[in-house]
Parts: sequence; structure tokens; C-alpha cells
Amino acid sequence: MESLTLLLQIFVGAAIINNFVLHYFVGICPFLGVSRRVDMAFGMGCAVTFVISIAALLSWTFTFYLLRPDAPLPTWLWQRLGGDPSVRIDLSVLSYIMYIFVIASSVQFVEMYVRKFAPKLHKSFGVFLPLITTNCAILFACLIILRNLQDPAQLWGPAEALTLALGGGVGFTLAICLMAGIREELELCDVPRPLRGAGITLIIAGILAMAVMGFAGVDQNLQDAIDAFLN
Amino acid sequence: MANGPTASERFLNGILPENPVYRQLLGMCPVLAVTAAMLPALTMAAATAFVLISANGIISLIRGQLRPHLRILVFTLTIATFVTIADRFLAAYLYEMSKVLGPYVPLIIVNCLIISRCEICASKQSVRVAVADAVGMSLGFTLALTSIATVREILGSGSWLGIRVLPEAWPNWGIMVLPPGAFLVLGLLLAAVEWWGQWRAQRMDYAVAPAMRGQQAQATGEGMEEANSWKA
Amino acid sequence: MTRKTKILGYLQQAWLVLVLACAYGGALAGVQISLSPRIAENRRQETYRIIPQLVPGAEQEQTVELLISDRHGNPARVYQTRDAEGQPNGWVVPAKGPGFADDIGLLIGLDPPLNKITGMYVLDQRETPGLGDYIRDADFQRQFRGKAADTPIEAVKADPGEQQITVLSGATVSSSSVCEIVNTALANVREPLLQEWARASAGADPRDEAEAAW
Repeated sequence: MESLTLLLQIFVGAAIINNFVLHYFVGICPFLGVSRRVDMAFGMGCAVTFVISIAALLSWTFTFYLLRPDAPLPTWLWQRLGGDPSVRIDLSVLSYIMYIFVIASSVQFVEMYVRKFAPKLHKSFGVFLPLITTNCAILFACLIILRNLQDPAQLWGPAEALTLALGGGVGFTLAICLMAGIREELELCDVPRPLRGAGITLIIAGILAMAVMGFAGVDQNLQDAIDAFLN
Repeated sequence: MANGPTASERFLNGILPENPVYRQLLGMCPVLAVTAAMLPALTMAAATAFVLISANGIISLIRGQLRPHLRILVFTLTIATFVTIADRFLAAYLYEMSKVLGPYVPLIIVNCLIISRCEICASKQSVRVAVADAVGMSLGFTLALTSIATVREILGSGSWLGIRVLPEAWPNWGIMVLPPGAFLVLGLLLAAVEWWGQWRAQRMDYAVAPAMRGQQAQATGEGMEEANSWKA
Repeated sequence: MTRKTKILGYLQQAWLVLVLACAYGGALAGVQISLSPRIAENRRQETYRIIPQLVPGAEQEQTVELLISDRHGNPARVYQTRDAEGQPNGWVVPAKGPGFADDIGLLIGLDPPLNKITGMYVLDQRETPGLGDYIRDADFQRQFRGKAADTPIEAVKADPGEQQITVLSGATVSSSSVCEIVNTALANVREPLLQEWARASAGADPRDEAEAAW
């Protein structure tokens, strides 16, 4: 049960309290660019959630078995090749390169899948789907997973990594759909010329960020409530 | 034979006319995240400049050998390598600052600015022009980062570069160092730059002879509406 | 097209990528080898330089790092501090837990028989600037000194009692989160640390055990 509350804490934390877009400022480019209409925004959010989940699982696997300090696979290989057992293997310098390639491959895979099974969706996405590769949110999720695989006393498992990815994706979708809904209404308003486009969007994002700040502390109280309920 | 813009043209272009943040709207993630104070902003600017200049230089050196369908791969590989080097250097020599910057240094890899400069300039022009372009863009990026960091730090902590500049009586605007403040400051500064650009364009209108001013103003006005419609 | 020409064709396309991969791999290996000792030292110093503040008389260099199993069976890292003669004179327990905005990282100093808290230091916090980050203030942290380590500490608004600390209004959640983290951490490691102390009093040196394990 303790692990379940931890997963819930990670999910709520990533989706609402520490929202990837409104708190950590990752994924701003699509947030500003694709948030004109709610249906497009929702589609983009779903695509990002899908890619981020795949990328997070793959990154976790590679990092856990290959890239963290004292990872099992390289240590085993080193010993098999007769290396000095007191030397500790640390391949973490290759982490960023590994992550960006995992992300690029995941995006490629998702694009092929969408082109085959949902061609209309693929057409409406246009160039935005390959652009998810440069979406900071996905690399950011991988970096959080990396950070939580450093301390051998507290390692994240695949469940935690996947929950973080799903939470981040859901939070991104939430933020981008909120913004799209507001911008649809904004088209009927008389926005001053200098503010049109990016300016007013950022100011609205600031107000949304203020609103999201109100959720701080919810995860701790949620955990307390669940603990009280279960005991 | 026209080889594209010259080195000095590229250099000057990157500072204001095609400023990466205020004009091209690229690289917003670090701009919002590390500008709560001047020192992290300057460190991030330096790291980005290092990656941009090195990547542009290397790509320009090997531009003759790039295969069209593998070039993005090569760009990404180069950029990721230099970002790792920059990140390790920061962790070794500026450990406190690297903790403040946190995950935003590796996020330079997905900074659209660097890939776009590699694609537009470095893969097509000589090393001199590519490096000049990179230096210009870095200066523009630094300008953007420092302008936002100045506003946020002075209003939010009453200090600049860590030194107290406002009197003690100033109630620090906590919102400025928190996420909402970042969005608001960037939005308002973007609007200010946009307003200044439009004011300048209008002023150049009035330099035209009075007789033609009526026709010209109408045409330019429409043109400006069209030019700005993509942003609305 | 034969298989050999196909492979040669691929190589012709991809030779640059392979060469670059090797070159960059070499560069990164060089950077890693030259810089990782410095980085590891920086990380170590982050905790170690605080230790003399937390346990009076502790010598930074004599500290021994231990990996123990806490009350729930999870691995936990603790530091056994020693004085200049190498005699154990306290413990430093790192603790982490949720605060108002994000996780808070702490170091708690304890005396050898785990009777009293000798100090507390906030390592990592992302609380609200100007309000919640009062937990970084030395006055707040000094309140923990001298509190008993076997009973939970309570956070109150005013008139603190024996096992209570005051919170600053506007930073109530951050301050009570810190209390919570301290209480949980101390409860988790109390039993294992008492056993370690019993062993240390009997003369066993955890450094020998640590080396034997490695």
C-alpha cells in the first residue's frame, strides 16, 4: 500500500502540483504554438503522453541496467573480460546522448504507428509530430528518472518511472487544453496589437500558473488522508 | 556568386533583428526557468553560447560530408556531446550553480535555437560565417536572458547579481521569482519589443513624402496586418 | 544487389556518423576520467562540510559512511562522526520528505546514544522565497538543538513546550513539514543505529566491516 500511495503522490505531483508546463517551464514551444484549438491541443497532448511513456520506460531500462553508477550489465561484462573488480564502472556520461536517441526513436515509432492506423490524425498533425522530439517535457521526464536512479538507497522502479511519465503527459495535456479553450474565446476579444500572439498567451499562462500554485501541499495531505483511510 | 549573408551580417542579425527569444520565440524553456536571478541566467547564457559556437564550428567543418537524411542525427549527436561536456564542467567547477540550474543545462540539447542555426547556417556556409552567426545569436540570447533576469531579480529580491540595490524597505515581490512571474515578465517584455518594432515601422512610414503618405499608410497598414496575422 | 554491396552502400552513407560517434565517445570518456573525481568530491563536500556544525567536536575527515537497513527494511545512508582521536562522537542522518512546494532535504545531527538532537541543517529546499524558505534561517534550525531524539517533535504557533518548536506565520506548512521529516527519519533509523552504537561501544569498528563487505 505504501508503494501505491507513492505512485499516487508522483502522479498528482507531476500532473497538477508541479505541472510540467506551468511549474517547470518545459514544453513551452508546443504550448504556445499548438494551443489554438481544443481538438488539436488534445491530440497533441495525447501524442506527447504516448511518446513520453514509451521514452520513459526505455530510458529507465537503459539507465537502470546500463548507465547508472555500478550498473549490473557493464559490471558483469567488465568482470567477464577479466577486469580489475575494484574499478567501479560508471557510464553515466553517455546518459544525455542515450536519452535523446531514445526520444527520437520513440517519436519515429509513434509517427509510423499513427500514419498506419490513423492517417487522418497524421495529416492534421503535419509537421508537429516530428517536432515532439524537441519537446523539452520528454527529455525532462527522462532527467527526473535519471536523478532518482542515482542513490542506491532509493531507486525508482519501472512503475514509478511510468507513473511520472503519465502524470507529466496528463499535466501537459491539461495545460495545453486549458490554454486552447481560453485562446478560442480570446479570438473574439480585442487584444492590443503588441500583445497579440505570444504576449497575451504568456500572460494567460502566468495567471494559470498562479492558479496551479494553489495546489501546493495537496499531495502530502492526500497521502495523509489515504493513510488515515487505510489504517 | 552569392553565398548567403556575410559573417558580419549574420553576427549583427542575431543580436536584435532576429533575436532568438524576442523575435524567433525559440529556447523559451531556459529563459523562463533560470531567470529568477542574474547569476544563473549568465551561467546558462555562457553554457548555451559554448554549445552553440562549438556545434556550429564543428558542423561547418564537416558540412561537405553530411548526407541529407542523416544530418539531423549528426546535429543531435554533436549538440548532445557538447552539452554533456558543458554540464560536467559546471558540476566540477561551479557545483553550487550547477545545482541551481539543475536539469535545465541538459535541456539545452532540445533548445530549438541550436538545431535551427546548424540547419540554416552551419551546414551551408563556411566556418567563419557559422561562428559569427553563433556568436551573434549567443549575444542575442544573453541579452534576452539578462533583460528578464534583471526585472525579476530586482523586483523579486531587491538585488542585482546578488548585491542588494533596492532599499531594505522594498517588500520583495515574491511572485517575480516564482513561475507566474516568469510568464508575466516574458509576456510583457515581448509585448514591449513588439510595440517598439511596430512604432519604428510606423516612423519609417512618416519619412515618406506627404503626398504619398495617405496611399502608403493604407498599403503598409494592410501589409502589417497581414504580416502579423500569423501571430494572432 | 549482393549483400556485400548492400553493406558497403550502408557504410558509405553512415561512415561519418560512425567516425563522429567514436570521436565524441573518446572526448566524453576523456572528460569523464578527468572531471569525475572533482565532481564526486564536490558532492561529498556538500554533506561533509556541514558535519562539524551538526555534531560538536566532529572531525570532517574522520566521518564514516554506513549503509544500514531502516525500520521498514529499506536501505538508508547514515554518517557516524568521530572526533580528532577517531572515537565515535555522534551521528548525522540525512532525511528527505515532501515540503510545501517540493521535497526538502535535511541533515540531522544526533549524539551517540541517540538521546538528543545536536543540530539540523536544510540542504535542499524549493519553498516559497521570502516565506517558506524561513526554514533555511539559522534561528529556525537552532530550535531543534537539544530536543529529545526519541519523542516526536511538534510544531506550534507560540509558547513552545519541551518537545515543541514555533513556526513562522506564513511558513506553517514548510515548518511543520520539516518537523514531520525529522520525526519520520528518527523513528526509522533509531533501532538500527542503537544496535550500531552498541557494537561500537563494544569495540567493533564499522570501517573494518565496511572494507570487508567491499
